[in-house]
Amino acid sequence: MDDKHCHWSQWQLLDSILPTGGFAHSFGLEAAIQAQIVSSPDDLKTFVIHLLDNTGSLFLPFVHSATQSPDFETWKKNDMLLDAMLTNEVSRKASVTQGSALMRVSAIVFSEIPSLKAMRENLYGTGAVSFHHAPIFGLICGLLGWDGTMSQRAYLFITLRDVISAATRLNLVGPLGAAVLQHQLAFVAEDILKRWMNRPVEEACQTVPLLETVQGCHSCLFSKMFCS
Amino acid sequence: MEVDGAVVVEKVAGKSAVTRCFSKYPLKFIIPRKVGPSKTDCIWIYTLNYGGGIVSGDSISCELTVKDGSNAVLTTQASTKVYKSRGEELSEQLLEARIGSDALLAVLPDPVTCFATARYAQKQVFRVGSGSSLVLVDWFTSGRHGSGEIWEFDLFKSTNQIFLEDGHPLFFDTVLLERGGINTIIERMHGYQVIAMVVILGPKVKNIRDQVRENVKMIMGEQLHSPFTSARGPQMKMNSNRLLTKPEIIASSSVFGPMGIGTVVRIAAMETETVYRFLQQQLASMETLLGVPPYK
Repeated sequence: MDDKHCHWSQWQLLDSILPTGGFAHSFGLEAAIQAQIVSSPDDLKTFVIHLLDNTGSLFLPFVHSATQSPDFETWKKNDMLLDAMLTNEVSRKASVTQGSALMRVSAIVFSEIPSLKAMRENLYGTGAVSFHHAPIFGLICGLLGWDGTMSQRAYLFITLRDVISAATRLNLVGPLGAAVLQHQLAFVAEDILKRWMNRPVEEACQTVPLLETVQGCHSCLFSKMFCS
Repeated sequence: MEVDGAVVVEKVAGKSAVTRCFSKYPLKFIIPRKVGPSKTDCIWIYTLNYGGGIVSGDSISCELTVKDGSNAVLTTQASTKVYKSRGEELSEQLLEARIGSDALLAVLPDPVTCFATARYAQKQVFRVGSGSSLVLVDWFTSGRHGSGEIWEFDLFKSTNQIFLEDGHPLFFDTVLLERGGINTIIERMHGYQVIAMVVILGPKVKNIRDQVRENVKMIMGEQLHSPFTSARGPQMKMNSNRLLTKPEIIASSSVFGPMGIGTVVRIAAMETETVYRFLQQQLASMETLLGVPPYK
């Protein structure tokens, strides 16, 4: 694929208009508000940094591995491992929902990559893979010809994008404040990328155990806007 | 790998018995003859470290086998203290456990307390079959609060892995807290001093599992408050006096594994005592299996 074409694909995969359902998730933010962990824009900033750090330590190894080896065997192995690592039911279900949607949309949209469609058709409904999000994101990046750094940076970008979008809908920041925050945190996210990129999946870990506990409470919330 | 200790528990003449027990410095096992009433069928194994804690550079590994039909508890007599590290030196503890069919292993330690600058890693691997039962408590505190040390260790890493017989990963969890990250450990804890995890897996503990899930739901139902039930959103609230404070304890439970055979409960609390109370209450009904109620 030539450079020009690659750019168009990159932008499309990262565009919030791609209907992958990311906006149904708050990554534990809604539960954190109800547990009084987050109640101001400052708290929000801290929450997002912690979320990005935990995303870096837990998911980037899977994005990296899939981008390096975008094949069925690696995908299947990593999907099974991630399923055992996502011990929190709320985030496990969120990962499967978003991964399945991303796979479905990408198999249709990126029709120049026939193997995506083939992999999805062969596996859908067989139970052989759970369709977790990070390995699928990395797989698609790899098949689109991205390099590993780019795909791991992109994964942090969409996490940042989606959590900030959730924050505006939870009335923690206005749209302009959200854009300012997203820009400020891009620099922090780049440091987080440098810290966690290119690690093997065996080293994937949680670095913010409180976040994990709080996100698990999401299913107990009496009233909620988001799925996770 | 050469291990520092090994215990085998198996059914002998219809009762759980220790058929092998070996340990060497700095590890020691104490296996009291009688812990509960004589009709309960369970072996209690206490692990001890010489010097009352783990010293910089210690690497302690042990193996535990709980064979078909037998029951065992692995516990401690006090919290595991990890002393400050010499330079970059890491202390580590490794446990490799096998649980047979219709067997139960309950790992019920006191918390790990890492002193300022300590560097500590622990890894516990469990190999289970479909008929095995496991209760695993893994928890740690912020350090010696009394001396003003709050989340001041350099590194803490805890890995728990449960594999099914065929090598299939069932539950993998690693928590890593390291100084020098993007943000400090104390910042990540929001005032909480204790982090705990309870894994409840298998047929012998099914009732406890269901009960704990219900209880956690009930506890949290009272603790969580939606700011949207009032007319003011969260943005408004910061301007007024904060009427709501963080809960003393946050707990959440999740089901894992095929057909929901396991449950994991995660807990964050302001005080160690709160977690002791939680564990005591939630695991009280294990008395029938273990002879005495845990954490009493």
